[in-house]
Amino acid sequence: MSTAVAESPADIKERNKALIAEVLEAYPDKSAKRRAKHLNTYEAEKAECSVKSNIKSIPGVMTIRGCAYAGSKGVVWGPIKDMVHISHGPVGCGQYSWGSRRNYYKGVTGIDSFGTMQFTSDFQEKDIVFGGDKKLGKIIDEIQELFPLSKGISVQSECPIGLIGDDIEAVSKAKSKQYDGKPIIPVRCEGFRGVSQSLGHHIANDVIRDWVFDKAAEKTAGFQSTPYDVAIIGDYNIGGDAWASRILLEEMGLRVIAQWSGDGTIAELENTPKAKLNILHCYRSMNYITRHMEEKFGIPWVEYNFFGPSKIEASLREIASKFDDKIKEGAERVIAKYKPRMEAVIAKYRPRLEGKKVMLYVGGLRPRHVIGAYEDLGMEVVGTGYEFGHNDDYQRTTHYVKDGTLIYDDVTGYEFEKFVEKVQPDLVGSGVKEKYIFQKMGVPFRQMHSWDYSGPYHGYDGFGIFARDMDIAINAPVWKLTKAPWS
Amino acid sequence: MALRQIAFYGKGGIGKSTTSQNTLAALVEMGQKILIVGCDPKADSTRLILNTKMQDTVLSLAAEAGSVEDLELEDVMKIGYKGIKCTEAGGPEPGVGCAGRGVITAINFLEENGAYEDVDYVSYDVLGDVVCGGFAMPIRENKAQEIYIVMSGEMMALYAANNISKGILKYASSGGVRLGGLICNERQTDRELDLAEALAKKLNSKLIHFVPRDNIVQHAELRRQTVIQYAPDSQQAKEYRELANKVHANCGNGTIPTPITMEELEEMLLDFGIMKTEEQQLAELAAKEAAKAAATA
Amino acid sequence: MTETAEKIRDHFDLFHQPEYSEMMDNKREKFENYVGEAEVARVSDWTKTKEYQDKNFAREALVINPAKACQPLGAVFAAVGFEKTLPFVHGSQGCVAYYRSHFTRHFKEPTSCVSSSMTEDAAVFGGLNNMIDGLANAYSLYKPKMIAVSTTCMAEVIGDDLNAFIKNAKEKGSVPTDFDVTYAHTPAFVGSHITGYDNVMKGVVEHFWDGKSGTAPKLERQPNESINFLGGFDGYTVGNLREIKRIFDSFGIDYTIFGDNSDVWDTPADGEFRMYDGGTTLEEAANAIHAKATISMQEFCTEKTLATIADHGQEVVAFNHPVGITGTDRFLQAISRITGKQIPEALTKERGRLVDAIADSAAHIHGKKFAIYGDPDLCYGLAEFILELGGEPTHILATNGNKTWEAKVQALLDSSPFGKGCKVYAGKDLWHLRSLLFTEPVDFMIGNTYGKYLERDTGTPLIRIGFPIFDRHHHHRAPVWGYQGSLNVLVKILDKIFDEMDKATNVAGKTDLSFDIIR
Repeated sequence: MSTAVAESPADIKERNKALIAEVLEAYPDKSAKRRAKHLNTYEAEKAECSVKSNIKSIPGVMTIRGCAYAGSKGVVWGPIKDMVHISHGPVGCGQYSWGSRRNYYKGVTGIDSFGTMQFTSDFQEKDIVFGGDKKLGKIIDEIQELFPLSKGISVQSECPIGLIGDDIEAVSKAKSKQYDGKPIIPVRCEGFRGVSQSLGHHIANDVIRDWVFDKAAEKTAGFQSTPYDVAIIGDYNIGGDAWASRILLEEMGLRVIAQWSGDGTIAELENTPKAKLNILHCYRSMNYITRHMEEKFGIPWVEYNFFGPSKIEASLREIASKFDDKIKEGAERVIAKYKPRMEAVIAKYRPRLEGKKVMLYVGGLRPRHVIGAYEDLGMEVVGTGYEFGHNDDYQRTTHYVKDGTLIYDDVTGYEFEKFVEKVQPDLVGSGVKEKYIFQKMGVPFRQMHSWDYSGPYHGYDGFGIFARDMDIAINAPVWKLTKAPWS
Repeated sequence: MALRQIAFYGKGGIGKSTTSQNTLAALVEMGQKILIVGCDPKADSTRLILNTKMQDTVLSLAAEAGSVEDLELEDVMKIGYKGIKCTEAGGPEPGVGCAGRGVITAINFLEENGAYEDVDYVSYDVLGDVVCGGFAMPIRENKAQEIYIVMSGEMMALYAANNISKGILKYASSGGVRLGGLICNERQTDRELDLAEALAKKLNSKLIHFVPRDNIVQHAELRRQTVIQYAPDSQQAKEYRELANKVHANCGNGTIPTPITMEELEEMLLDFGIMKTEEQQLAELAAKEAAKAAATA
Repeated sequence: MTETAEKIRDHFDLFHQPEYSEMMDNKREKFENYVGEAEVARVSDWTKTKEYQDKNFAREALVINPAKACQPLGAVFAAVGFEKTLPFVHGSQGCVAYYRSHFTRHFKEPTSCVSSSMTEDAAVFGGLNNMIDGLANAYSLYKPKMIAVSTTCMAEVIGDDLNAFIKNAKEKGSVPTDFDVTYAHTPAFVGSHITGYDNVMKGVVEHFWDGKSGTAPKLERQPNESINFLGGFDGYTVGNLREIKRIFDSFGIDYTIFGDNSDVWDTPADGEFRMYDGGTTLEEAANAIHAKATISMQEFCTEKTLATIADHGQEVVAFNHPVGITGTDRFLQAISRITGKQIPEALTKERGRLVDAIADSAAHIHGKKFAIYGDPDLCYGLAEFILELGGEPTHILATNGNKTWEAKVQALLDSSPFGKGCKVYAGKDLWHLRSLLFTEPVDFMIGNTYGKYLERDTGTPLIRIGFPIFDRHHHHRAPVWGYQGSLNVLVKILDKIFDEMDKATNVAGKTDLSFDIIR
């Protein structure tokens, strides 16, 4: 359906330029000027995408971004399964983020695991006026009583906490002492802090550094290390992604001592400083703690990409290169084992997907990381952008995108709709808020946050599912039915 | 008579609550029906009218009951001197929670539950400065139309008066709030009356009344009374009655204030000799040193 | 082999393959500091006891799995019911992302809404500039006919004054002076989403009827024969409002659906994205002042709005989400009384059909125990229907129910022999309900998607009626009001009952004695 396929990169760049100019026209001058800096076309060989990022969203434009609380509770902390995470403040934040992220875990919910539960302090007017510290103390007591197998508690601050000046650190410290050093961790991730989820990731990382690592040293004294210990950092186990990754690492001979944070536990966080190598998937949300572990504990780290066989293969070799021959051989063995199956998947799906054009708009990793997987299927990403990426994400993006790719940072509802209307991709990959807009426009869509309730997409086992799902989206018969025969 | 909503603002410790309660006690003698809404977490805006400190503030009762929805108006309204209706928003201990939000909550509750019915005056007594949105609640649209700033000739009081004017200006264009005028509580600083009048003029306002200092105010206060009640025939009671008369006659005469810059304010203080220039200060210091040296020599 | 190109295994069975099970067990044993299956089983059993229930009900501060959301969600729900109206939530931007996702997951439809994107500096200096820029941008980009402003808790804590801010923004030219901007303060720490709905509706009424914040003359009421209808916060709004229109049309009366969001959450996929669709026109909203009466389908969603409308001289009538024969009867009789029109024969016939259906199937429901949770009015309506069917609404729970509601539902229970021994729980959450389902089990529960966790833990089958429903598709398109809607509810209940019967009798040679072909 790509009727607007521009022929050469030069044509495409010309079209993109016109397109950007067109969308900017709709804004008042002041806002047009600000938005202009976030929209561009990638020029081959450049080390930058030449867009501004990690800047405040403009009021009133329908940004797709969330907040620091979403970044901390929703992304980093929420998946730690054996802790109770209190959404501290009014009821809404915890309610809307309850169970919707699909960070799978194994455990008995409500007994030894708490991932898909919503614990809230349900702030009332009186808590705002008189402060919520006493209430928080009582909440912690009640958790202790009703959930004796919880291994820790985190306090995820919502907006009012920072505004009314509650001292959640003091309460957490006192209660931790009362409960024999149980980790009780205050997180200052009020939604008004920062410009997006991103600051929430950073705050959550810093809190792990200050409230977990510093106290973990004696607990982990008896930990038996091996030379092959690694930690998976920045995989949230959406639809089981981290498991489909872990299995490959173990197969090549590594020992995964921690998963951050999908299906993770507080014990794994505490043990991570014992790792020989940190392997980092979502750079955006966890580079901070990885860098800290490098400085403090001397643990090297490597970024990897487990989307699609090409990138998986390269990543397995890259990871193996940090170890001895045993692991290197292990990596080759794994690659060889899965190769026929990957070829079969490609043989089956590539003919159905070849040449299809994709536009992406996702969080802080996938706008670049999934490009290789699409390319394995013969598809082409023609536009991409980050909800909450920083400049270093855009720099990394240059290794993935082609000349002429449309780049849009913190895209607004209006811009995204116009871009898709004009570029006419065969598939859009973005979030749930965007899904139905594009489907109504007749454009196939996959949710690239939740995998549209499918998954895993990571690892060799994930790639077949990814391929199947893209086929389901693009080649669904429904897209031929959107126009009535008489209209 | 249409409901008049007035508010008293001023720097902490300026004698705002004393002035407001004496004024209101005088107003009630003139036959006005009055409701006081205390908007200071200390809840001392009605103490002299009730002859006791109000215990049942809106927020303390709401916290006990669970939420304001569970309260009845009669729980929080007490009747004081000559029928003055008294309410206190109340609020948290210093250093916790959000007192500003408390003011919003309390005023919304009082309005929704009919506290403003059958009164001629609603008077808000507001803590210190307009420090956040909550403390601006009484000057929003459909709340106080006239603001009276209680001040004195002291530097900080003048700063505060100017700041409060800024707060009023912010809301003056969208709502109907006006600066009613300044009330100067004498502190016996140099050229105090002149200074108060000069500031009033700069702010596009006027000095409503200059309340002289008199120990009888302290005597009355120790007995938890207004001067009007304690010593109705005293000179000071007369002063407050005059102030009340002026406020009463001031209906509709409020102005949109024209707050001045810090530089302008400082210049004014220099003109009046309240503040000294750096050269003056250095010269004085040198003179002092010289005198000291002369004495020891 | 975990997966082949021919047989793609996704999460449903991939992780149950032996290599994955082994991997997960190994992870647990070696790295998770796991307490062991026996200890987990012991604690799990303990949570099912009366002792645990007592501790659970002694909770004073902690809320677990509540069945309520916050005010601005209801604000957005109400706002999108007006013609080309853009909800604008003043405060932190993350909140708006949440409301949009939440509605989208329920309706499987886009939800348009903007935020003023306040950040740390706005927390200190107030959000006036965000309002000024936000209104200007929203107006230019999305070309609404009206903007409905509400607030997040952040803006409420710092005390931003919407009325003053909007006036300021208009003075600065963000939107034309005569452009309709309604506003409602909707603090998340007061009430719940139903309060937010109420506040926005009240704000819209006051805006159009009381002179648009002093910028237009107040409207003078000139009573006519029309009636207004408020649906309240309702997950079935698409199906319900269409059913209500059908009912009103069959009466042949003039009416205004005040806040009609049935089209904006049900737009076609035909190549065009409609950001706005349908809705109450602004003219209708203004003219609603002249109506003879206003009917609210949900009393606890519309308390303040109804009071405001009553102050303007209209009769107001409130129902509690009527479902079933008696509830629908009362609703139709009220319409008939107010308008002086006879109840149409067609509706009487529909009533007869519903009675017929109940007579056919009531035997399967009679004496069955139900737990019901959800918004206060929904709970009331469903409880009344269950009583009518001869079922026992054993536990009725609304996290956002208050004491008045509790008393009202108790009175309903007292009015029927089937209500004996049934209990009402205001302000309790689904973790309380979990205890109840263990100590005082029921046959079925009725509520929103979150009940599936209770179904898993307690084995109580869940009949999905409520908001949100995330894990079933399209049910919001069918009504649950009127005789027709009640029939849908009856069928939902029966389907679950029969499914459970079959599940309990389908093991060949063991339980299939009662695996009847006819039920």
